[in-house]
Amino acid sequence: MDHSKDAAVLDLASTGESAAAAPPVRELADRRKVFGDQVDLLFRHSPTGVLISIVVGGIATYELWGDDTRDLISLWCVLMVFVGAARHLLYRAYYKRTDDNYDNWLRWFAIGAFAMGAVWGFAGAVFFPAHTDAQQVFLSFLLAGMVAGGIPVYSAVWWVYALYGVAIIAPFTYILATFGSEQFAELAVLVPLFLAVNVSIARRLSRVFADGFRLRHAYAHLGQDHSMLNAQLQDQIEELLQAQREIEASGRKLALFSERAPIAVFEVDRNGTVLEMNPSAENTFGYSSTELIGRSMIRMLIPSDAPVLNGEWWQSFVRNARPEAGLKVRCRRRDAVELICEFSLTPLVNDVGELISVITQCQDITQQLEAERLKKEFTSTLSHELRTPLTSIIGSLQLINTGMLGELDKEVGELTTIAERNGQRLLDLINDLLDIDKIESGKLQTHSEALALDELVRESLVLNRAFADRFGVRMVLLGTPPPMAVYADKKRLIQVMTNLMSNASKFSPEGGTVEVQLEQVDQMARVSVMDRGSGIPPEFRSRIFGRFAQADSAATRQKGGTGLGLAICKRLVELMGGRIAFADREGGGTTFFFELPLMDRAAVAIR
Amino acid sequence: MPTTPLNRICYVEDDEDIQRIVRMSLERVGKMTVEVVGDPAQAIETIKAFKPDLVMLDWMMPGIDGPTLFRMMRETPEVKHLPVVFITAKASSSEMDELRAMGAAGAISKPFSPKDLPDQLRSIWSGLP
Repeated sequence: MDHSKDAAVLDLASTGESAAAAPPVRELADRRKVFGDQVDLLFRHSPTGVLISIVVGGIATYELWGDDTRDLISLWCVLMVFVGAARHLLYRAYYKRTDDNYDNWLRWFAIGAFAMGAVWGFAGAVFFPAHTDAQQVFLSFLLAGMVAGGIPVYSAVWWVYALYGVAIIAPFTYILATFGSEQFAELAVLVPLFLAVNVSIARRLSRVFADGFRLRHAYAHLGQDHSMLNAQLQDQIEELLQAQREIEASGRKLALFSERAPIAVFEVDRNGTVLEMNPSAENTFGYSSTELIGRSMIRMLIPSDAPVLNGEWWQSFVRNARPEAGLKVRCRRRDAVELICEFSLTPLVNDVGELISVITQCQDITQQLEAERLKKEFTSTLSHELRTPLTSIIGSLQLINTGMLGELDKEVGELTTIAERNGQRLLDLINDLLDIDKIESGKLQTHSEALALDELVRESLVLNRAFADRFGVRMVLLGTPPPMAVYADKKRLIQVMTNLMSNASKFSPEGGTVEVQLEQVDQMARVSVMDRGSGIPPEFRSRIFGRFAQADSAATRQKGGTGLGLAICKRLVELMGGRIAFADREGGGTTFFFELPLMDRAAVAIR
Repeated sequence: MPTTPLNRICYVEDDEDIQRIVRMSLERVGKMTVEVVGDPAQAIETIKAFKPDLVMLDWMMPGIDGPTLFRMMRETPEVKHLPVVFITAKASSSEMDELRAMGAAGAISKPFSPKDLPDQLRSIWSGLP
């Protein structure tokens, strides 16, 4: 916005300068246009010239007509009419022209003017000697008149007039000079002088015309410039107004941001003195703005023993003038209550790097920290206080169900088995919740080592066979697993495989088979667990790896499970650098598989 | 590997229910002789008197917790040689590593299966030097 303003100022200045140092106004005119106007003026007068020539020619014919001169006069008349007609055609052509090649038009016009002059020159040279004194006087006046009358007609371009005049006068002068009479000889000197005076007048006239044309064009040009300048100025004013409106709007917006922000915002100077503060700052610290503005933010809010934002720290911050964020500081509220606040400081510097003020944003995170502490406590309670009674419950039931304490009544046995199974489910749920919590808070650590995946797959199969048996499902290994090494956490990897295998068992039809396969796909080891279940419903596919994801809540009650298993698997596999996915099986059922980056088998042997 | 089979176990645990379950599991399923101590402050004296093959310690106990008791045992000449197994619901692996470095024989996580507990202990026992 500033730039457009600057630019606007510069524009005006440069225009003013050019006006001040400008050449005379007429120089602004386009030379081609001025020349065009001169040619145009010549053509405009052309019919007058031709008409006068024809009329005067007619009178001359009448006057000079005689028996002995009949042939010559007739010839002369024909020449006159011919030239007149030719010039008239040229005139017509000029007004129908499609080009603006004025040089060319002028050339043709000059030829026409010269021809017309030559026709009169012919009259002077041929008729003068053979006629009477009176007729000679008549002829002389006639020629003088034609020369003088040519001035208004041809002087728009002076040399055209000169050509015309010379064509009339030269033959006549020659006749006068060679006539033999002394007076005529004197006339032969005077006549060219007379022509020279006329040409000089024509020349001056021609300049006057040109100046006139130039002025006309120059003023047209000036007018155009003026209106362009006006339009430009109008645009610039409009832009400036727009910029001003934008600045005002963004200023209002900024003020609103700060005013309505839930975060405390202070503007402080380089000494830490509060210049401005928003309502949130008042609410957070319990001071009204009148109490704090003009006082040191640091002395009022921060205890002197704070590790950051103390006086010394502030000095170095002002020296460096670099933004700071995430500063957790214990602050004092007006009523002496301690708050833990997180500060972000943004120094505002001017063009030369001097610090003007510091925008200080501050958020009271006391409650947030308390919530985090409570959550941690809750998680810890969940893990200990819930697991301890469950240990007793499940342990007791297990002991009863082993039969070590005596045979049970059949129905009692059924009930204690149900109780044990559901106790186990509750425990699984707690374990899953703790796992998810650990993973999502980034606290789950995997202890990766080089593992022989083929052996681990076999081990998992053995571990899960009993579970599959419960659902009347057979679990088999497809082919011989090739030796493959991966870098992973053994316990977590078995957890993932157990999860996939127990899911497959649960959702297989009774008497079905779950197939497990280990293969290499590109540079990854892929473990697939394939069932012949009813497949994944389309509406469930997108959230199958989400939390508490189960296609059918009736199935949960029937088959058990927390709906967290796949979410945990996905996160665990990803933590170990792999990926997990599923695909429909041809002939019905689903394949769940995960892939882990392959390691050199030799590396495992060394370990 | 010890030459004698695992027989005498001393278990330090404050939760009476779990005391009973572990006792039952070890006696009925494992056919072992068990002495249970409810108050960790009395543990070392009881252990001295009972002379067990192996000591099981609960991790979380009021007053003296499992790891503290373990360190106290290490400083008591009569009991310092005894293998110690922790039963725990929340040992982090780094803490477990630390205790192993101090000489703990192993850890069994809660909830354990009373059916399998004797076998788990025997497996740790047979793995001892």
